[in-house]
Amino acid sequence: MRQFEFILRRILTSLFVLIGVSIMTFFISRVIPTNAAAMYIGPKARQEDIDRVTKQLGLDKPLPVQYMIYMNQLLHGDLGDSISTKRPVLVEITSRLPASLELLFSGMLLATLIGVPLGVLSARWQGKLPDTGVRAISIMGVSMPAFYLGLLLQIFLFRDLHLLPLAGRVSGDLQFTHPIQPITNFFLIDSLLTQNWIALKDVALHLVLPALTLAAYPIGLIARMTRAAMLEVLEQDYIRTARAYGIRDSVVTYLYALKNAISPTLTVIGLTFAYALTGTFFVEIIFDWPGLGLFTVRSLLAVDYPAIMGMTLLGAAGYVLINLVVDVLQAWIDPRISLK
Amino acid sequence: MNKKLLVLSLLLVAAVLMTSCGSAATQAPAVASQPPATQAPTAIPPTPAPLVLKIANTANVTTWDPVLSFSTEAAYMANVYEQLLRINPPGSAQKFTPLLAQSWDASADGLTWTFHLRQGVKFHDGETMNAAAVKKSIDAERDHAGASFIWAPVKSVDVVDDYTVKFTLSYAAPLDLIASSLYGTWIVSPKALDAVAANPKYYDSGVDGGTGPYTIQSYTPDQQIVFSRFDDYWGGWKPGQYDKVLVNIVPEATTQEQMLSGGQVDLAERIPPQDLGNFQNNPNFTVDTEPSFFNYVGFFNTLHKPLDDPKVRQALSYAIPYGDIIKIGAQGLGTQSRGPVPQGVFPWSPDVNQYTYDLAKAKQLLSDAGHPNGGFSINLTYASENDSEAAFAPLIKDSFSQIGVNVTLTPMPFNQQWELAKGDIAKQQDMFLLLYWPTYSDAGSDNLWSMFYGTGDKPPYLNATNFNLSYWKNDDYNKLLDTAIGEEVTNPTDSQAQFVKAMNLLVDQAPGVFFYDTKAAFVIPKSIAGFKYNLNYPFVYYFFYDLHPAQ
Amino acid sequence: MEIDTTVSVPQVESTRTFRHVLAVIARDPLSLASTIVIVLFVLIALFAYQVAPHPDEGAGKTNVSNTMLAPSWDHPFGTDLLGRDMLSRVIIGAQPALIVPIGVVLFAVLIGAPLGAIAGYKGGWVDEIIMRVTDLFLAFPSLLLAMAIASALGRGLDKAAIALVVSWWPWYTRLTRGVTISLKERYFVEAAQAVGVNDWVIIARHILPNTISPVLVQATVDLGTVILAMGGLAFLGLGTQPPAPDWGLMVSDGRTYILNQWWIATFPGIAIFVVVLAFNLLGDTLRDIFDPRQYR
Repeated sequence: MRQFEFILRRILTSLFVLIGVSIMTFFISRVIPTNAAAMYIGPKARQEDIDRVTKQLGLDKPLPVQYMIYMNQLLHGDLGDSISTKRPVLVEITSRLPASLELLFSGMLLATLIGVPLGVLSARWQGKLPDTGVRAISIMGVSMPAFYLGLLLQIFLFRDLHLLPLAGRVSGDLQFTHPIQPITNFFLIDSLLTQNWIALKDVALHLVLPALTLAAYPIGLIARMTRAAMLEVLEQDYIRTARAYGIRDSVVTYLYALKNAISPTLTVIGLTFAYALTGTFFVEIIFDWPGLGLFTVRSLLAVDYPAIMGMTLLGAAGYVLINLVVDVLQAWIDPRISLK
Repeated sequence: MNKKLLVLSLLLVAAVLMTSCGSAATQAPAVASQPPATQAPTAIPPTPAPLVLKIANTANVTTWDPVLSFSTEAAYMANVYEQLLRINPPGSAQKFTPLLAQSWDASADGLTWTFHLRQGVKFHDGETMNAAAVKKSIDAERDHAGASFIWAPVKSVDVVDDYTVKFTLSYAAPLDLIASSLYGTWIVSPKALDAVAANPKYYDSGVDGGTGPYTIQSYTPDQQIVFSRFDDYWGGWKPGQYDKVLVNIVPEATTQEQMLSGGQVDLAERIPPQDLGNFQNNPNFTVDTEPSFFNYVGFFNTLHKPLDDPKVRQALSYAIPYGDIIKIGAQGLGTQSRGPVPQGVFPWSPDVNQYTYDLAKAKQLLSDAGHPNGGFSINLTYASENDSEAAFAPLIKDSFSQIGVNVTLTPMPFNQQWELAKGDIAKQQDMFLLLYWPTYSDAGSDNLWSMFYGTGDKPPYLNATNFNLSYWKNDDYNKLLDTAIGEEVTNPTDSQAQFVKAMNLLVDQAPGVFFYDTKAAFVIPKSIAGFKYNLNYPFVYYFFYDLHPAQ
Repeated sequence: MEIDTTVSVPQVESTRTFRHVLAVIARDPLSLASTIVIVLFVLIALFAYQVAPHPDEGAGKTNVSNTMLAPSWDHPFGTDLLGRDMLSRVIIGAQPALIVPIGVVLFAVLIGAPLGAIAGYKGGWVDEIIMRVTDLFLAFPSLLLAMAIASALGRGLDKAAIALVVSWWPWYTRLTRGVTISLKERYFVEAAQAVGVNDWVIIARHILPNTISPVLVQATVDLGTVILAMGGLAFLGLGTQPPAPDWGLMVSDGRTYILNQWWIATFPGIAIFVVVLAFNLLGDTLRDIFDPRQYR
């Protein structure tokens, strides 16, 4: 019951925050710029176009009315048309979303698969060499600019060693030999579902460098948090009891302790999603990854205002939702949370 | 507890999958239109896989509407659509290649042009190309093309018979040059024209209405375009020409270079100029440098003091380090301009004067103009997305500082720079760097007119193109240009002479700086043959139809 | 008189923490090394024009005859396309890349901390309003918000800095509020309240001085992130504008030359990495001593 209340309360606050987010983007897009209409429609607009947009956006009306118009358009999924591609921003975003999500999930999966064991290792040998090594790796990971790491990886693994593809999501000529049937538009899943092994290999190889670049930052955070959570758990009575009963050390560490350290680790994984979200911007530029990041950055450079604001709004909404999901998950796994 | 976790993560994954399925619908049509790869035309022995040409190109597609197209997508349009005729590179035996028109003639006064069309040409959608289709296309383009202004001299287009079209002009103009333009001249299927009139998003689904050798098979924005050959192309097909052309849209030159040397593509349209040496030394490639349609111009704001004084502008023109600018900005791939017309394009002439880099002379002129030791400041804007401008702008700053003129460099996105230039006179830039190219192969009625022909009675004298960003109006220049443009068809020799006079007046009055004409560099693998460069078609570096694997 | 004695208590407390911190840093070789690196870089940045071998080139002056020279004794980091000494460019580029982020964090603290103290001390509707506003800002991934604001303001180092301040201050509000709430219960605050000292005086003289340690720790931890964010904005072209030097911008420019002229992107990239690494190592140690997160 408590859990249910907690979840309900979290959903309500998230809704509140989302409304706030819409007010913020409204301010950034309509109130800060001195000539919002010109910005909205792009510089080559004629005066009559500007007048039309002024009317359409309600820029001649009082602010609360403008906001209502803005919200009304938002609720109808109308984020405006991109100035550079002339297509609706929502279409641009949804068509690029799978590429970004595939990268984001792969990166986070990689970060978890590397980060959690590193954290466990570190906790098990606290203060010893492995611990110091993991600390060094973690801190280096969070200190490396993604745009620089990506560049280095490209130079060494593509140019020098010819091991991995340079950029892009899939080899161009794959579509002539082994086309991927779009089912989910997650290329990994699609090629797996259709048992298109050649495509699967190609997609996986293309994913390695971008996912690794993206993972560098979260790996450090996850390893550190797993370590801290493990140390806390290892101090607790039942672990000592288990040890006293002569249960093998490795079993204690990997089974009992890790299981109980999952909850705080999960929080950090959730939170690092947000870092990874902005990380994709740089990764997608470096690796020509056809996702939202590349689109956002191009929009930024072209001052494509509707696109920038659409992405800001969606990024924030995504962030709020991820946080919500993490909190709800935690409350479910660990009911003590909802008591706090 | 663990089961809950499992169930939840599965739910999460499912939710994500569902949302992306929803978005899948928007991409599906492009991919679904793919025909089975094994289908081979009869003329060619059946092959297991199609012959594919892979290209990396920077050009983005702003529209697939051939009428509206007025940007970099011309690189692709030129392989899908055709004009009545195509202009050949300078120095060719024939000035034009007939495409959809087989022959044409002009009346002596240059006011009536008759085109006799090729018979038996089909559009990709099955319609027949005839006089009615040509009239419908040209009328649509005169009405609302991105480059509709090129048709300004045309009063009417009339169908004489099924395969003859007559253009009536209100004043003499070189209609052959106009009709071979890269923009606003494509002959489009009447069915497609009707469809797009009813639904402006008609072309978004990856269809086309051209007659050209290739048709658009699929398009993924910002990623790739697949072209496949049009089997019924009127020019026919020879064994060895490509069945499919895969264009990867790659904005970064360095990435293109790596894709080319890594064998991921057969051709890369843009190689970083400083890396051309890598290919020059490689036996598998040839590097070809060619003149181009492009040049760099810097506009002085003649409405701002002291740039309103021609002496000051001349002084600054002498203080431009032309050699270094070509060396740094173009990595040597350029030649100093003679006025605003790029070499190889009418009415370029070797008789047009150039400034040299001469700081002593610049100082002398400045002090003659009452500014000994300079002492004024200039705000120079350039397009931040243009690497060459970003590279050479600091050279101008350093050189001007040697004659006591302080330059503030302001990089800004081209669009904002453009907006600033058309805005409030007091806030405008003092100097505007621009990469320019003519809409079609007539730099007299384009470059010379668009960039320097001031109109109107009061500043900023902007003309219809808005490109005269010196805001300069000179009656003598305008008169010379009026005569030259009027005589282009009727008296070409005198027309050229008048153009040269106009250009020399322009260079002397120096409302702008004429930096350099760029050269295009091509890295062609020895495995590909048939490459023909035509400077008249900027962005269209390859006509896919010309290319085939080397034997 | 009584008030004065109560004031001295927190002063002692915060000095003790500070000394403690210094002692721990001095004992840990990595933290000590990081501190030295940071101090060194800050000094280099502050005296960039005195330190750089070619300060004019560092600031943007061209030297065409030296175009794209590989690293050598004369030019340890090589030269760029315009023949400018890359070592000088990196040194002078430290100002926007390092000093500006320090300024950003400082401003974010100056805005965020007082608001947090007010919210925590006053409670009630004041707290509610302030914290809901910070919630809104924190609902955005910071860099995304900064990008959006920077694009609304236009390009430039100053605008990027403003954008970063706007997206970072709420973190300090949240932190300071937490510290304040725990301080509110402490005897010296209660004593001051008992003798009827004005709320604002209590906040200014009793609360804020005691939030300095956790805020300082958090600021150090954050600096690495802010430097990365600043470098990122510059890399995207939203920060420093050429010909002024900036590490992020130089990496971005150097990408074009990465195949043959590897040094143009490499050294500025290393500079960012080393500085951020130093801040993160130091922050890591500080966090171990004094976890500011306990107040969140």
